[in-house]
Amino acid sequence: MSTAAETRTVPTAAIHEGFLAHARFRYFKLASLLCVLAVAVYWWDDPADGPNGGTWLGYTLGTVGALLIVWLTLLGWRKRDYSSRLGTVRGWLSAHVYLGLSLITIATLHTGFHFGWNVHTLSYVLMLLVIASGVYGTIVYARYPTLITVNRDQSTREAWLAELDELNEQSLKLADALDTQVHQIIVQSIDRIRIGGGLRAQLFGPREPLRKAFAQVEKELGMTTRFMATKLRAQPSMRSLGPDESSTVSFMAGQLVGGSHDNESAQKLLDLVARRRDIAGRINRDIRLHAQMQVWLYIHVPLTFALLAALLAHILSVFIYW
Amino acid sequence: MGESFKIAVIGSGPAGLSAAARAAELGLSHVLLEAEAHLSNTIYRYQKGKYVMAEPAILPLRSPVSFAAGKREQILETWNRESDGLKVNRRLRSEVTGVSGTRGAFCLKLADDSVIRAEHVVLAIGLQGNIRKLGCPGEDAAFVQYQLDDPDEYNDETIVVIGAGDAAIENAMALCERNKVIVVNRRDEFDRAKAANNAAILKAIADGRIQCFYNSGPRKAEDQPGRRPRGLIILNTASGEVHLPCDRVIARLGATPPRKFVEGCGVAFPTADVTSLPAVSATYESNVAGLYIIGALAGFPLIKQAMNQGYEVVEFIQGHNVEPADEPLLRGKFGAMPGFRTVDAALELVQRRVPVLAPLTRLQLREFLLDSELRLPQQGEVIFERNAYSDSFYSIVNGQVDIELVGGKATRTVTLGPGEFFGEMSLISGRRRSATVHAGPNCMLVETPRRSMNKLIYSIPAVKRVLDQSFLSRAIQAAIAPERPPVALQSLIATASVLAFKPGEHLFREGEPGDCLHLIRKGSVTISRHMDGRDVVLAYVPAGQYVGEMALVSNIPRSATVTAAVATETIRIDGEAFKAMLAQDPPVKARVEEIYKNRLARNVSALQQPERGGVIGFLMAQGVGEATDVLLIDESLCVRCDQCEKACTDTHGGLSRLNREAGPTFENLHVPTSCRHCEHPHCMKDCPPDAIKRAPNGEVFISDACIGCGNCQRNCPYGVIQMGVESKTRPSLWRWMLFGGREPGLQDHAHHDHGDVPKKAAKCDMCKSLPGGPACVRACPTGAARRVSPEQFLRVARKE
Ligand SMILES: Cc1cc2nc3c(=O)[nH]c(=O)nc-3n(C[C@H](O)[C@H](O)[C@H](O)COP(=O)(O)OP(=O)(O)OC[C@H]3O[C@@H](n4cnc5c(N)ncnc54)[C@H](O)[C@@H]3O)c2cc1C
Ligand code: HEM
Ligand code: SF4
Ligand code: SF4
Repeated sequence: MSTAAETRTVPTAAIHEGFLAHARFRYFKLASLLCVLAVAVYWWDDPADGPNGGTWLGYTLGTVGALLIVWLTLLGWRKRDYSSRLGTVRGWLSAHVYLGLSLITIATLHTGFHFGWNVHTLSYVLMLLVIASGVYGTIVYARYPTLITVNRDQSTREAWLAELDELNEQSLKLADALDTQVHQIIVQSIDRIRIGGGLRAQLFGPREPLRKAFAQVEKELGMTTRFMATKLRAQPSMRSLGPDESSTVSFMAGQLVGGSHDNESAQKLLDLVARRRDIAGRINRDIRLHAQMQVWLYIHVPLTFALLAALLAHILSVFIYW
Repeated sequence: MGESFKIAVIGSGPAGLSAAARAAELGLSHVLLEAEAHLSNTIYRYQKGKYVMAEPAILPLRSPVSFAAGKREQILETWNRESDGLKVNRRLRSEVTGVSGTRGAFCLKLADDSVIRAEHVVLAIGLQGNIRKLGCPGEDAAFVQYQLDDPDEYNDETIVVIGAGDAAIENAMALCERNKVIVVNRRDEFDRAKAANNAAILKAIADGRIQCFYNSGPRKAEDQPGRRPRGLIILNTASGEVHLPCDRVIARLGATPPRKFVEGCGVAFPTADVTSLPAVSATYESNVAGLYIIGALAGFPLIKQAMNQGYEVVEFIQGHNVEPADEPLLRGKFGAMPGFRTVDAALELVQRRVPVLAPLTRLQLREFLLDSELRLPQQGEVIFERNAYSDSFYSIVNGQVDIELVGGKATRTVTLGPGEFFGEMSLISGRRRSATVHAGPNCMLVETPRRSMNKLIYSIPAVKRVLDQSFLSRAIQAAIAPERPPVALQSLIATASVLAFKPGEHLFREGEPGDCLHLIRKGSVTISRHMDGRDVVLAYVPAGQYVGEMALVSNIPRSATVTAAVATETIRIDGEAFKAMLAQDPPVKARVEEIYKNRLARNVSALQQPERGGVIGFLMAQGVGEATDVLLIDESLCVRCDQCEKACTDTHGGLSRLNREAGPTFENLHVPTSCRHCEHPHCMKDCPPDAIKRAPNGEVFISDACIGCGNCQRNCPYGVIQMGVESKTRPSLWRWMLFGGREPGLQDHAHHDHGDVPKKAAKCDMCKSLPGGPACVRACPTGAARRVSPEQFLRVARKE
């Protein structure tokens, strides 16, 4: 039991610290220092046949660069060695990002700006590609998490799927009561909902966009009752939809209202379809955001292995053909 | 006139069965009366295939029937066979409805109105109570069942579920996916169930997935041999009789707790508390001469203990003085006592020296000391450190201890001597130790774990009274004037009383006159003010601190509303006495005013950031008000890589204790499904082998003694415990990197079919065996996952 009476106030942010700011930017400072040092020595050094990889500075920078690359690759090992007490993964990633970026300076100075169509330049280009993909990843890591949270809007994928199921069932029931044609069309629209799919679908959304599936329902229903559309456009459930979608939804609504059906069920069915579209859209957006946030690693890592191979060739050839 | 026996045993659980078997073995005239159609109903009702454990392993078994760890089916089969072999005179379907008389002349009334006479009665009816049946003709028909093991067993059936509690709702919800389900509710609402269940069933009824008869009850159940469906249930409803043909009736009407029946036999319970159990003597005799109580009803929650007592009670009835089975264990524990002669003498010494143990019966004392440890620390040795999280209780048998109290900058040492006790503060508050304790010369202590102590507090009012009184004066002193000796605070202490508040209940409201101070002794509260038509939470105050001083210091009405965040107990101190004390003690007054000013300033700054109130409110709703350490994920940093879960899986036998995605989110703050390490862990409440412990750093963990009963899983309100089997092998990272195969961090599906390996409870232990903190946090690449204690919020807040 503590003696001092102390109230606690909970801060909103401050509890967490991201990997970029890790340990007050310790690795940013370290990497900057490394770069400044490399540039300074490069200016100061004046080798006889111009700067290149074969001078003592060239060898030093090359060795530092190669060791850095090997160490950067080891992140993949540390990440999975879950009981390792060798620093936190957050610290490793922080160092990975900043020291990885410092490679641009170190490796470029190592080349002495000699480029050509050979394995040496290939290594250099591969390295730049790995770094570029890493930079892309860092940007994605900074932006997407919040986008996902906003899209989730306190819900979860399971809850969405459950609600979707339920909405399907409810709209079928309602449509059934209205008339067989409406029922059939709702059945078709349910069959056409696509969630997730292959890599392409995950990254860019399903091939047969949901919009089409819904639009079709609405169009077929709307054919006969165009005239009702304007009357219903002011309905609140339409406001959130895009222009052409809202018109097709209203056609359907028009058909329903124009027919002998009771107004209330028609409105209800309309709301259900709109809600269903919203949820299906959110699920697919959720899948897309996740896929886009993670797919770059599938470029970053294979390129890393290509880089390691090229680097080996580069080093061997330097020693053998010198 | 009825038959007559020397011993009548009521209840054929492990305790009763063992007693009857011993009587049969000795050739005594006896009868074993069991309400159900089979032996041992509690074990019969375990889940199919459940692995039953034989804890505590060190306790030898002493019974004519054998028992070893194994499958439920196997154990029941052995008991049936062996009791047949011993010619136990058992009567199934013989519920006893009343017992009257005393030694030599008992009269037992059975449900079918027959009467049995007996010289001695052994009551072994356990704690499960009797399952409530339909209470109408046909309640035992073949298509009527009172339990549901696996809802997936049933498809395309018409099932009538009777009842409106959680069990009924959960069964109905699970069955309605693949069956036609009809619920029968005696009333017109489901509000006795948990909020989530209530909402779920109402929705299912509204959606037409479940049909419900309100204000209805069963009138008759009828087998319809050869017809489909095979059953018919007739209901009385508001609009007359309804005939429902169905394949199955599942009745979940709860159980009647045994207390009323036991009291009806003349047995006294020490307190009105629901956890209170009847007190029995060292020979298991109750306050009714000749009526013995054994097993779970006597407070011994494990099978082996129950069986040993069954054997012993028959020996005692025979007048034999058997050495209890736990005697060698006690001798092992107390043999190290200087001048030890016999266990009995040692027990007596402890009881004579420590007044708080005086009201215990000999059996309670044995049980208490069996759970306890004898400690003989060297002079100067630290018994516990301030801020450690241990929660055991110490009684001083000999010598003395020095307690270092910290008050502001000064420390003061208090010395306690033989007969006194310490450690009750953390026991009651659930918080860290408030002082460091050193051993003095010739120190002899008895250390008792939290559960045994709580058991005593709940079953012996005198113990509770003594502890409460001592807590009161020590807590008031520690919180208000640690540098003053308790005598200086006598007038204050005399006005104090303990109050209990339910979650959400107000201690006081804004605008009320301030007439008292509340010192929070358990739980926590939130401070809020009404602004722009809504309540804005300003702050959160944990146990060990006081609230309500503002109105007293400034003589204005209450400036804020104080609400219990969780079940909370406070010590109420009278306002006038408090003011009088302050008037006499300028240094204490200055400190109270200082705190007052700080709070005022902080409230003003909190009011300027009302969005913070939202976060506090949200975190309170997630149980942070009773947490000591909670995993919080900042979703604006979380890249959903599940590294945290994989780390948990890899370091904990392939079984993750964390579900990152599940759990609520407020703005960017996500509280995943993971243990909060509660101050008063709900999971500990009902663990038969007392396997859930708190480590010195606060981690609540489950030891190997777990018997897999699943009670903790049901009791944890945050759903963080799961039953599972840990894998013994761990995938190698090198092997995976070079050759592929099992990847570290992924759940091991090949191992999922665990055959005979028992499932045990698994939960977060904060990786207490790994240096450097929890693996989930260390593995998170972005810094999104952090484990924090509410104290850490405070520290961060102050830095700003
Ligand atoms: C899910 C679960 C799992 C468990 N797992 C284990 C384990 O693995 N290992 C372990 O050691 N312990 C375990 N336990 C604890 C153990 O089951 C009990 O400690 C033990 O059953 C207590 O035995 P008992 O004889 O006192 O009472 P019970 O076993 O409860 O037996 C009481 C009997 O009395 C009958 N009865 C009640 N009232 C009357 C009446 N009026 N007339 C006639 N008969 C009556 C009942 O039908 C019942 O058969 C577990 C408990 C639960 C709930
Ligand atoms: C030549 C340089 C680099 C090499 C060889 C390299 C290599 C790697 C490797 C092997 C991984 C582990 C991937 C896995 O196992 O899942 C990784 C992850 C990563 N790298 Fe790089 N990298 C380099 C440069 C960079 C740079 C410059 C950046 C950023 C600016 C960067 C950002 C990242 C990030 C954000 C991750 C993901 C970490 C995670 O999600 O766990 N990398 N890199
Ligand atoms: S398991 Fe549940 S009840 Fe037990 S300490 Fe953790 S959160 Fe609290
Ligand atoms: S490890 Fe960190 S970033 Fe990955 S899922 Fe867990 S909390 Fe999110």
